[in-house]
Amino acid sequence: MARNIQLDLETVENREMRLGSIISWDGSASELVELSRYEERALRHKGCPGAGKNGEGCRLCELNMPFNQQSMCANSIAACQAGNLRDCVLIQHSPVGCTARNPEFNLAFRNGLERRGIKPRNINIMTTNLLENDMVFGASEKLKKAAREAYERYNPKAIFFSMSCSTAIIGEDLSSIAAEMEDELGIPVAPMHCEGFRSKHWSTGFDIAQHAVLRHIVNKHPKKQPDLINIVALWGTDYFTEMLKPLGLRVNYIMDIASFDELAQTSEAACTSAFCHTLGSYFATALEQEYGVPQIRAPQPYGFAGTDAWLRAIAKQVGKETEAEAFIASEHERVKPKIDALRAKLKGVSGFVLTGSSYAHGLISVLRDLGITVDGSVVFHHDPVYDGGYEEQNTLKTLVEEYGDIPHFTVSKTQPFQLPALLKRVKADFIIIRHNGLAPNAARMGIPSFAIGDEHFPVGYDGMIRVGEAVIEVLARKKMNQVLQRHVSLPYSDWWLSQKDPFILAKHPEVLDEAEEVQD
Amino acid sequence: MAKQTKSNTIVHPRYGCAIGAAYTVAAIPGGVPIANCGPGCVDKQYYGLSGSNGFQGSGVASGGDMPSVNFGENEVVFGGAKKLDGLIKSSLKIVKGDLFVILTGCSGELIGDNVESVVKTYKQQGYNIVFADTAGFKGNNLRGHEIVVKAIIDQFVGDYKGRRRKKLINLWTEIPYFNTFWRGDLAELKRVLEGAGFEVNVFFGPQSKGISEWKSIPRASFNLVVSPWVGVSIAKHLEKKYGQPYLHIPVLPIGEEATSAFLRRVVEFAGISPEIAEKFIAREAHEYYYYLEHFADFFAEYWFGLPSKFAAVGDSAYNIALTKFLADQVGLIPVRQIITDDPPEKFRESISALYHDLTEGVEIDPEYIEDGYLVEQALYDTDFGTGVPLILGSSWEKDVAAERKGLLLEVGTPATEEVVINRSYIGYRGALTLLEKIYTSTVGGK
Repeated sequence: MARNIQLDLETVENREMRLGSIISWDGSASELVELSRYEERALRHKGCPGAGKNGEGCRLCELNMPFNQQSMCANSIAACQAGNLRDCVLIQHSPVGCTARNPEFNLAFRNGLERRGIKPRNINIMTTNLLENDMVFGASEKLKKAAREAYERYNPKAIFFSMSCSTAIIGEDLSSIAAEMEDELGIPVAPMHCEGFRSKHWSTGFDIAQHAVLRHIVNKHPKKQPDLINIVALWGTDYFTEMLKPLGLRVNYIMDIASFDELAQTSEAACTSAFCHTLGSYFATALEQEYGVPQIRAPQPYGFAGTDAWLRAIAKQVGKETEAEAFIASEHERVKPKIDALRAKLKGVSGFVLTGSSYAHGLISVLRDLGITVDGSVVFHHDPVYDGGYEEQNTLKTLVEEYGDIPHFTVSKTQPFQLPALLKRVKADFIIIRHNGLAPNAARMGIPSFAIGDEHFPVGYDGMIRVGEAVIEVLARKKMNQVLQRHVSLPYSDWWLSQKDPFILAKHPEVLDEAEEVQD
Repeated sequence: MAKQTKSNTIVHPRYGCAIGAAYTVAAIPGGVPIANCGPGCVDKQYYGLSGSNGFQGSGVASGGDMPSVNFGENEVVFGGAKKLDGLIKSSLKIVKGDLFVILTGCSGELIGDNVESVVKTYKQQGYNIVFADTAGFKGNNLRGHEIVVKAIIDQFVGDYKGRRRKKLINLWTEIPYFNTFWRGDLAELKRVLEGAGFEVNVFFGPQSKGISEWKSIPRASFNLVVSPWVGVSIAKHLEKKYGQPYLHIPVLPIGEEATSAFLRRVVEFAGISPEIAEKFIAREAHEYYYYLEHFADFFAEYWFGLPSKFAAVGDSAYNIALTKFLADQVGLIPVRQIITDDPPEKFRESISALYHDLTEGVEIDPEYIEDGYLVEQALYDTDFGTGVPLILGSSWEKDVAAERKGLLLEVGTPATEEVVINRSYIGYRGALTLLEKIYTSTVGGK
């Protein structure tokens, strides 16, 4: 594995450059496994497999379309990471609109605190609230004042700055101001170069936030805590403790809901894993490379096979193989009757998964362990390799090998206009969804959605039971969707709804010129 | 003069930016916003104005369905006009709609893309297409709303020289989505104005006829602005463009007395016969007092304490309307009124004056604060007397309300503990709903 993580640089390289990530592709899961060439990419710097002298063969082909719908940006992601810490403050160097999603992040933060047994309270994310004059004359002074204001008001242990499209275009020097304020205030001030136009996929925002934590907060002189395991997570319920306590491990969740000290001690842990490699791989690899904190070489803890392998890999790391085997055996015995009962109830049911990349791979395993048919899925992007690059972490390959192919496997960045065609090719009694904007259209098509807000819900052995029971409840909601289907329509033209290929615009853009009609 | 409090920053934002006006377009039946900006801009506005504001949803080609250029590095370096052109071309073919409005955000404006020339081609082909400059740094979504409405008037409604229809009025009031209860409130305003004998263009929501209504703007006899400041510049613009007069009533009417007075004033301005209006008012008053009388039993003899002193935190339209109703019609005492929508300086004196004319013997200086930190500090410092504090505000006041052991009613964005479908708090019917909500929370419900 080449040394990929460059913590000496101001900012992290975009995912599309670093890993070759794509946002638009259509085919079968097995084809994508093959085209990704995970192992080859992992061997080379910048996730580039077999690239010739001129870089040919470097990129996965994408289906670029003239039509795009709103999605999300790296700036949003950086805010929902660095802005959701318990004792740090984020300052968004931006016009006020860049903070308009903060009420939703607040809801996530408050729910997250409650799930982790901490009294809910509001997030404190500030904005420099830039106006037209600031675009003309620059706004560095405003940012400095904001940092002082943050320090006086909240007494934070660290301050984060985030870049927006406008401040990036006018050339605000976030890094210099951060260094200056760090000197003045005597606490870490971490700049995040997360302007929304920067990367074609929002998940680069995770890497940017983690990069800032790694450079500015993580303890550079760690004292080892051999019973500590880092779990890179979001706001999920603490289901990991019940799985890791039998191995004598304490869980350190990174990074939503975490405190400064919890972030700092990540370099002291025995190992690192994540609920999703898409989210956790950068952080885990950096800790491994810089501080020798090993990352767990396993797929993710979903379904029987994934959870077994994950527990075994952790046990091997911390020398608890015997305990792990005993735990695995007793857990199988405990959950099997319940899962068998669920399988009987769910017989003949088909599901469709739409979530962020490797999380979808995990969810599909859970559904298939429950006997649910999954013939199609949408992932919001695809990383052909993760920063870790370990073969055992190749989640899509594991999925295909353990559970068989997914005939309709689509990479698409929350584009609801494709949903009618996507859902016509497969049977779907329900969809599983994270991220907004897609489920409402499935709803109009008569299909109920299972919105997974608590991302840890499907984790581990109990996760399968939780998901199975939830699916049964969700299927009942079809009544509401059938009412909608009878009475409301989708916001697309009959011409578009008659298309069978969701990527027709990429393959045959000339169809847009067919029989133009002026609407009035 | 009102106390004004400024800080250098905003924490806990209570509005979006100018491109939030995409939701003004989305509220027009048949309106399709096309976002010419970065990938996350209008997603953020969705949450700020709809998703985290009563979970209002999106319905048409907004929310996740909204077409967006999704500016990348390439567009910032080489310009976004080409990508915008492809997006417009495909949107016209894919998305159902009658009126397409291109809203340009920070990136497009800063790099200076010529949107007008892109749009022109489609306009010449006969499409109903409009563009507006709505960069986030131009100001908040309230200003964006006015920019977009004027753009539609100038680029779509166009010139008119014909006759006016005496009974037809254009209603400019709450901002779609931003004002949490806009749908129910518009329906109530339309209902009472129609009851008084008018025909009403409401422009937004299910009561609107969509673009035909917009086309009929110049045919109305006058423009009725019911808001402290939003919409006044639209009415002035229409006055200049079509020579149409306007009537500005700054306070949304709540309760029988205010709503009946409102209708009489509009009738008088219009110069139509008051006969129909008076019959309608009598019917409404009869029903209103039937309910109020029953409610009054509870109000008179509830043993376990009622709130007396209240604070209102929110946009100027809702803030003054609720404060006026509670002070003048219920007898609650205003102790802290904080206006959070950053009204233009020239309106502030007249807005403040409204708080000095609430009801006999009751007045208060409102404060103009956009920074949530200062809002919350002010509420911590407020003397609510011996009763349970009542705070009419947003989700951001949850912590301070809990600290003060008060009742929080979410009446503006963000409102993440309210699911709002068609509820109204204004007019005859909305007033009763508002009383229900406040006193349900008083007796321990939600």
